[in-house]
Amino acid sequence: MSGPLNGVRILEIGDRGEAAGLLLAAAGADVIRVEMPGFGSTGRSQGPFVGDNPGPERSLHHAYFNVNKRGITLDPSTADGITLWRRLLERADVVIDSTGPGALDEFGAGYESFRPLWEDGKLIWACITPFGLTGPWKDWEVNDLIQIALGGPMMSTGYDDHEIAPIRPDGEHSLWMGGEFGAIGIIAALYERENSGLGQMVDCSIHESVSCTVEGAFPNWEYAQRLVQRQTGRHSSPARTAPWQFLAADGNYVNLMGGGIPRTRGNWKELMDWLDEFNAADNLREERYEAAVHSDPMVATEERAHIAEVIGKFVTSRPAEEIYRRGQGLHLPWAVIRRPEQNLDDPHWNARGFFSEVEVTGFDKKVKMPVAPYQFSETPHAITRRAPMLGEHNYEVYHGELGLDAMQLVALAGSGAI
Amino acid sequence: MADLGADVIRVENESYLDSMRNGMQVYPDRPSLNGSGMFNNMSRNKRGVTANIWHPGGREMVERLIKTADAVLENFSAGAFERMGFGMDHLRELNPNIIYISISGFGHAGIDTTYITWGPTAQAVSGATVMSGFADMPPAGWGYSYLDHTAGYYGAIALLEGLYHRKRTGQGQYIDVAQCETGMMMGGVAMLDYQVNGREYVRQGNHMRWPATAPHSVYRCSGDDRWIAIACETDEQWEALCEVLNADDLASDPLFQTNLSRVQAQDQLDAAIEKYTRTWDTRELMYVLQAAGVPAGTAQTSEDKMEHDAQLRARDFYATADHPYLGVRRFEGLPLHLSATDWELRGGAPGFGEHTEQIMTELLGYTADEFAQLKAEIAV
Repeated sequence: MSGPLNGVRILEIGDRGEAAGLLLAAAGADVIRVEMPGFGSTGRSQGPFVGDNPGPERSLHHAYFNVNKRGITLDPSTADGITLWRRLLERADVVIDSTGPGALDEFGAGYESFRPLWEDGKLIWACITPFGLTGPWKDWEVNDLIQIALGGPMMSTGYDDHEIAPIRPDGEHSLWMGGEFGAIGIIAALYERENSGLGQMVDCSIHESVSCTVEGAFPNWEYAQRLVQRQTGRHSSPARTAPWQFLAADGNYVNLMGGGIPRTRGNWKELMDWLDEFNAADNLREERYEAAVHSDPMVATEERAHIAEVIGKFVTSRPAEEIYRRGQGLHLPWAVIRRPEQNLDDPHWNARGFFSEVEVTGFDKKVKMPVAPYQFSETPHAITRRAPMLGEHNYEVYHGELGLDAMQLVALAGSGAI
Repeated sequence: MADLGADVIRVENESYLDSMRNGMQVYPDRPSLNGSGMFNNMSRNKRGVTANIWHPGGREMVERLIKTADAVLENFSAGAFERMGFGMDHLRELNPNIIYISISGFGHAGIDTTYITWGPTAQAVSGATVMSGFADMPPAGWGYSYLDHTAGYYGAIALLEGLYHRKRTGQGQYIDVAQCETGMMMGGVAMLDYQVNGREYVRQGNHMRWPATAPHSVYRCSGDDRWIAIACETDEQWEALCEVLNADDLASDPLFQTNLSRVQAQDQLDAAIEKYTRTWDTRELMYVLQAAGVPAGTAQTSEDKMEHDAQLRARDFYATADHPYLGVRRFEGLPLHLSATDWELRGGAPGFGEHTEQIMTELLGYTADEFAQLKAEIAV
C-alpha cells in the first residue's frame, strides 16, 4: 500500500465506526474489523443483499463500508478472547471502539481495563459513540433517525407544507458525520504522537458531530433568536424564499441555486439569450429583473419570485441534463438532481478515476465504488481488497502474526472465543 | 485545524471579499466586515491578514507567508489560484515541502473542471438531494449546505493525512478535493444496489428500508410544529412503546404483532401511533420513552439544542469566547475530546486584517516602516 497512513495498524470493533475505518483504510492503514463469532456485525444483516437473498456474506452495506479492511472474529467476553484482544492491542496503533460507553469494560476488555496502553503507552483509543462517553444521555437507545432528529438537521429539512413531518435524509448520515470527525481525531492523535511518542483517548460524540453540522440554524439562534423554517428542496430560512428546485421535461428535477438568478449582469444577458432561443423570456428583459442579480437570494422579492416562475416554466420544456450542462456552460451553479447511480457513467468522474473497481462477495462481476473523495499526488488512495468475509483473516492474523498453531485455533473456535 | 491547535492564517482581500463577512449581519443597522455571526463561528481561533496580490509588495508578502507555512489551503474555483500565479510548481519553488490542498466543486483534474458549485449544487449532482423526502413527492433535499460542511471535514481529513505523511517522510504533496465526490461517498450502497441488483434508488420518507424495522418515523406532538422521532428495532421496544402511550388497542392489534406485520402495515401504523403522540409534549415523551428503553428523540430546533439539551450542556458543547465587535458569544464546539492534547476555543474570528501588522513584523521580518509603507500603498 502507498497511502499516507501506510504502516498504521487499526483495530475496529463495534458497528458505529465503519465510516471512520473505511476512510482510514482507503488511506493505506491496515484496518482489521473485529466481529463477534457466529453472526458478525449488524451491517451483515442489513440490506440490500446480493440478489435480494439475505445472508451475512451478501450484504451490500457490508461490502461497501468494509472495503480494504481485513476481518477477524473475537468474542471479548471470553477469557481466551480477552487474552487475544490484549495481544492484538499491544501490536496496534489505533482502536476504533464504537461498542458504547463502558460496554467492553463489562468484560474487562475496554478502555478503562487497558488504560495504561493509551495513557502511558503508544495506543490511540478512539471511541465513536452516540453521545460521547459522559453526560446524562450517554446510554440512550438511538439509531440514525433519532440522531438526525436530536442533532438538528431534521427540523431544517422537509417541505413547505408543515402538516408534513420534517425529514431524515436517507443514508445514515449521522454515522458519516461521526465517522468523519472520528477520523479527524484519530489522525490528529497520530500526528501528535510523532512529537510526544504517546497515544491518548479520543472521545467522539455523534450527537455533537450532527449538532455542529447545521449551517445557518446555529447563528440564526445565537445571534438573532430566530428559528429557521424548513422548505421544499432548498435552504431553511427564518422567512419564506422563492423555489430553487424545478421539474424538468424528462421527469428529473433540477436545482437552480438562488432561484436560477445569475450573480452578474453578464451572465444574466447570456441567460436571456438562451431563453429567447425558445421564446421563453417573457418580460424578463425589463431592467428591474436584471437588477435582481445583485439582490440577496435569501430575501424574497416580487422580482425574484417572478424570475423563478418564468425560469421554472422554461425548465419544464427541456431535459434536466441539458439544463445542467448549458447552465454550467454559462457559469451558472445549476445542477441536475441525480440519483446516486446516475453518476456511475458520468465522464468527468471516470476521467478523474474517482470510482474503483472492486469485487463483491456472491456477485460475479466487479462493481464501481467511491472510496476517497480526494486525490493525493504522492500517496494515492486505492482499493486493494474487497470487504472481508466473516473471520476471513483469522488464520492470517492469529497464526501468521500471533503465532498460534492450528490446534489452538480449533480450540478457540470450538469454545466460541473466535 | 485551528481548533486542534494549528496556527491558521486567513488571507483576505477587500476587492474579492469572502461573502461570509457580509452575510448574516448581527447588527443590520450598522453592517460591518466584522459583523457576521456566521463568519465568527466558522473562523474562530484563526488569525487574519489582508493582502493585495496584484501589487508586487503584497504578492511578496503572501510568498513570504507561504515560505513559512506547512500547508496552503484554498477553495477557489478550479484553476483560479493558478491564474493568480500560485500553481503547484510555483508553490514548490517557494517551499519545496509544501502541502497544497484545494477544495473545489468538481476538482482540478477531469473534464467538467470549470463547473461551479454551491452546497445545493453539489448536493443535487451527487445524489444527496434525491435521497431525502417521500417517493411520491419532490425531493426534500437538505435544508442547508450540508456538503459545505462535509467538504470541509474531508478537507481536514486529507490535510491531516498529508501532514502525517510529511511528518514521517518530509515529503509534501498536492491534494485535490472535489466537493461533489464527498457527497457521492454517501450514496455508495445505492450505487452497489443498482449495479448488483439493477434497482434504482427510491426515496423512503422517514421509513427505513435497510434494515426494515417499524415503527420508524416522525410523529406530531402537542404545540406548534413539534415532532418526535421513534424507531423500534425489537418487539420488546414496540411493547414498551404501546405501554408508555397507554395504547392497548395497538398492542393487541394483530396487524402490528411482529416486525414483519408492522413493516407491511407501516402507513396505518404511523397514523395509529400519531393519534397518541399528538397529545404529548415532545420532550416529555422523549424522556419517558428513553426511560422505557425505546429509541426516541425530539426533532430539536436550535433553541432546543442550545437552551434545553441536557447532554450538550453537560459536555459544555457550546463554549463561549469574546469577539471585539460582537462581544462574548457561544460557538459550536468540536465534537471530540482528546485526553492528552484536547482542542480549545482561544478566541472568536479575526477582524478584517486584524493580524496583518503582527504577522508581517513578528513572523515575516518586516520592519514597522516597511509595513507602514506597504499599507499606504494598499499592498496589504
